[in-house]
Amino acid sequence: MGLADVSWAFSEDLSGAWVWGALGLGVLSILLLALETARTERRRFLVLASGVLATALLLAAVLRPVAVSLRANSVGPKVVVLVDGSTRLLIPSDGKTRRARAIAAAKGIGSTFKDARVSVLEFGAGAPQALQGEGSSLSVESDLTAALSQLNSLAQEKPQAYVVVSDGRLSRPTFDDDLTRLKQLALGVPIHTVSIADVDPPDAAIRAVHAAGAAVAHQPLSLTIELGCSGGLKCNEIPVEIHELRYGMPKALLASGVAKLNQDSGKIELQVTLDRAGTRVVEVSIAAPPGDSLPENNSRVIAFTVTRDRIRLLHVAGRPTYDVRSLRMWLKSDASVDLVAFFILRSNEDDTRTTSNSELALIPFPVDELFTEHLPSFDAVVLQDLDAVAYHLAKHLPALARYVESGGGLIMVGGPTSFAGGRYAGTELERVLPVRLLSSEKPFDLEQFVPSYTDSGRAAPVLRGLRDLFGDALPEMPGANILGAPRENALVLWEHPRQKIGQTPMPVLALGEAGDGRSIALGVDGTHLLAFSEFADEGSGRGFGALWDGLLGWLMRDPRFEAARTELVGECSEGQPTTLMLTRLPSMQGDVTLTLERLGATQVEPIVQRIPNPPPGPLKIVLSDLKAGGYIAKAKIGSAPPTRYDFACERGGQAWSDSRVDPARLDRIAKITGGRAVTVSGLSSLPIPRPAEVAAERRVSALLPAWVWSLLAAVVLGAHWLLRRDSGLV
Amino acid sequence: MRCITRQSFLIGVAASVAAPRALAFGQAGAFHPRMLLTGAATWAGSRLRAPERWGWELVRRTSAPARAVCQTVRASDNRLLAEPFCVWAGEGEISPLTRRELRVLGRFIQLGGVMVVDDFEPRVGTFGRAARRELARVLPETLPVRLDPSHVLFKTFYMIERPVGRVLGVDHVDAIVRGNNAQVLFLAHDLLGALAQSEISEWVFETESPDPMFREQAARLAVNIGMYLLCSDYKDDQVHAPYLMRRRAAR
Repeated sequence: MGLADVSWAFSEDLSGAWVWGALGLGVLSILLLALETARTERRRFLVLASGVLATALLLAAVLRPVAVSLRANSVGPKVVVLVDGSTRLLIPSDGKTRRARAIAAAKGIGSTFKDARVSVLEFGAGAPQALQGEGSSLSVESDLTAALSQLNSLAQEKPQAYVVVSDGRLSRPTFDDDLTRLKQLALGVPIHTVSIADVDPPDAAIRAVHAAGAAVAHQPLSLTIELGCSGGLKCNEIPVEIHELRYGMPKALLASGVAKLNQDSGKIELQVTLDRAGTRVVEVSIAAPPGDSLPENNSRVIAFTVTRDRIRLLHVAGRPTYDVRSLRMWLKSDASVDLVAFFILRSNEDDTRTTSNSELALIPFPVDELFTEHLPSFDAVVLQDLDAVAYHLAKHLPALARYVESGGGLIMVGGPTSFAGGRYAGTELERVLPVRLLSSEKPFDLEQFVPSYTDSGRAAPVLRGLRDLFGDALPEMPGANILGAPRENALVLWEHPRQKIGQTPMPVLALGEAGDGRSIALGVDGTHLLAFSEFADEGSGRGFGALWDGLLGWLMRDPRFEAARTELVGECSEGQPTTLMLTRLPSMQGDVTLTLERLGATQVEPIVQRIPNPPPGPLKIVLSDLKAGGYIAKAKIGSAPPTRYDFACERGGQAWSDSRVDPARLDRIAKITGGRAVTVSGLSSLPIPRPAEVAAERRVSALLPAWVWSLLAAVVLGAHWLLRRDSGLV
Repeated sequence: MRCITRQSFLIGVAASVAAPRALAFGQAGAFHPRMLLTGAATWAGSRLRAPERWGWELVRRTSAPARAVCQTVRASDNRLLAEPFCVWAGEGEISPLTRRELRVLGRFIQLGGVMVVDDFEPRVGTFGRAARRELARVLPETLPVRLDPSHVLFKTFYMIERPVGRVLGVDHVDAIVRGNNAQVLFLAHDLLGALAQSEISEWVFETESPDPMFREQAARLAVNIGMYLLCSDYKDDQVHAPYLMRRRAAR
């Protein structure tokens, strides 16, 4: 600490206007005095001098001059260390991670700038934050430009130097970026850089995966896969495969090829067709050559949101009835449905009264073609009153079950030849239905009844439209298929008021999940009474559309019919906490149960989180310790059907896609901002900024008390008066 | 399948006889040509059993179920709205529809119901004209149009060249079409006359031509109407187009 300059000022209780006014008056007085003394010769200079002195003393009495002395502290320079907080720095490097080396370097900088005030922050996608431990990371990004911009927006002391610790492969500025913007953001402060690695690891990697446009169900989607090879690894050709991850079954190969690399980089374009709409998790993988040190970036797991231009629906009916008519007419009226229908119009026993096929407008039921070649092209299949054995569907039921488990939708609509009556009991298809089937001699019940809503039925958005029209009322049904108990994870929305399965009411309408697909069992053939009947007239015939809009919408995962919407906050990286945001429909209340399951054939114990009756509003659910792969998050709210959300989790992900270091970029940043680029071993060569001085004490003292100025002014004024009289000016 | 259909048909007979509104499982959606009555009209006479014969023809030729005992329904009765099909048949003049009849018939059409108007005396045409006049009061903004020979009605089950009933009549069918659906079919061929049988299963009326195929053509029209009701425009689906074009070419 030392004495700084002493300065002079007028009393601080006078405003600037008063000071300038007084000074102006003084100057004016002196000018008038000078003019006056010009008329006399006698003692002219004494009169003028005494007048000027008297005016000055009067001004001093008014303005009261003071002495201001300042004392200043000398403090160490402020240095901000910005450590790259990207997940990329978790890449192993010489037995430890790059992040560990970066943290060690940050500590080393603290030692180098011993007398400096060093702040150590890490930067990711936005504002820099305090440096965390070695195992964590801030973001997949490492955006230095955003970090400097955020620091500038804070009202704080400008640092005298930045020190960036990184491997150089920043998200921004990129290698090709103009660094002028960065220089502007530095505000004249030099940016020193510390490169934590200067040797590329031997690594073959998927650098990027680009999709040409949006993914649309059943439409080929072109994926461009960029590959790279570094660290001296020899890669001339790299096999590439693309699989779709599915629930409860092995991943399905969508496309494969061999990429040719030229100068350690190359790309391959492969076409994939995703048949199911919704979120689909795809794995892109390469077979890396021996010596690859980073196998984690040999595959990418990517969630695609697959849309559909229209729902492609297969409607197969065993015989034409009013129920078939109503469903067909409703489906045909919906422009979003691409309907393919096959109705059995005659059986072999029917007598058409002609032997000439040309007189009949009938075509053979192409059951083999439909359920082998074309089945994957449909989003959903409606089986209505169709005997599986009589119409040769039985042999295709295993394929139909696999179709559902791989993401297809299935609705079985009641009738005498549906469910057990259609000889589906004990078949492969039964396992994907939401109810068990009973092999009894009585496949259906002839007693008329009105289905009852269950609690789930009242809560389910799928039936909201129907309930808005009719409340709990439903038309009387002319009998029902005998259905067994609901399967695990199935929900019964309507039940029989009298028929029992054991001690519980028999299901009439049930929804269920089967693998990646969904299925619906509707054990009545009278829903057409919601379209045309005295009951239907009360709702102007809109009840049928309301019911089927809900059923088909739920089957196709239309968000309108889900109890909640689930989203991933940020990205999911292995080992990092993953946050899911659950937004419930306003009417959805009750306990929330989130069940997390892995996609794939290997069954892993699901992670279950229960949140008892949470308050309304978006709900954040944090999951930890997720491994790389595809996941299904099923959120069940109260008694409503669960909502499914698929997402991908990666180890490294995009951040690890390019393991090369980039010290050249750090050199450029340092050079353009006037800093110095060093390696970890060269920390001591970083220039130490000059100490900063900070004002610490300010003292104000009057030169003379005001009364002394006044007395002196009075004495001199008196002398001035005597001189004026003696010179003849009075 | 055949057994089930027959069984259902028989169950339908029993159910229909026992309690007109108590239907067996699988029968509520079965084809049911209900006879529409207006004013003081009753359903009686030589064509009494023709609707049952219509259902029987449908059941024996196709996989569609049909109700074995057919009912009548009054245009003023809300029960007209219970099912989407009715047949308005008769001869001679019709008394103007009452306000209530107009309202219920309007609701029937609005809900998507299908009606066949069958004139027993098409050469005179009094009933047909009166029915058109009264239906114009029900649907004042929708006029009947002539169905194109390529309309799906003529290929729902049989490939039909032209409509035929007890009489040859006109070579076309007029219809009130709403949206894509022909909801009111005007037949000028006495279709029920061709289907009418006595209690001992003898044809009540001779057809205009003694050729057995003449009555067969009428039965085929009846079947096609039934299938049009139950399947709507199913045979217009693109998947059927190449087959049907080949068959038309082969004829």
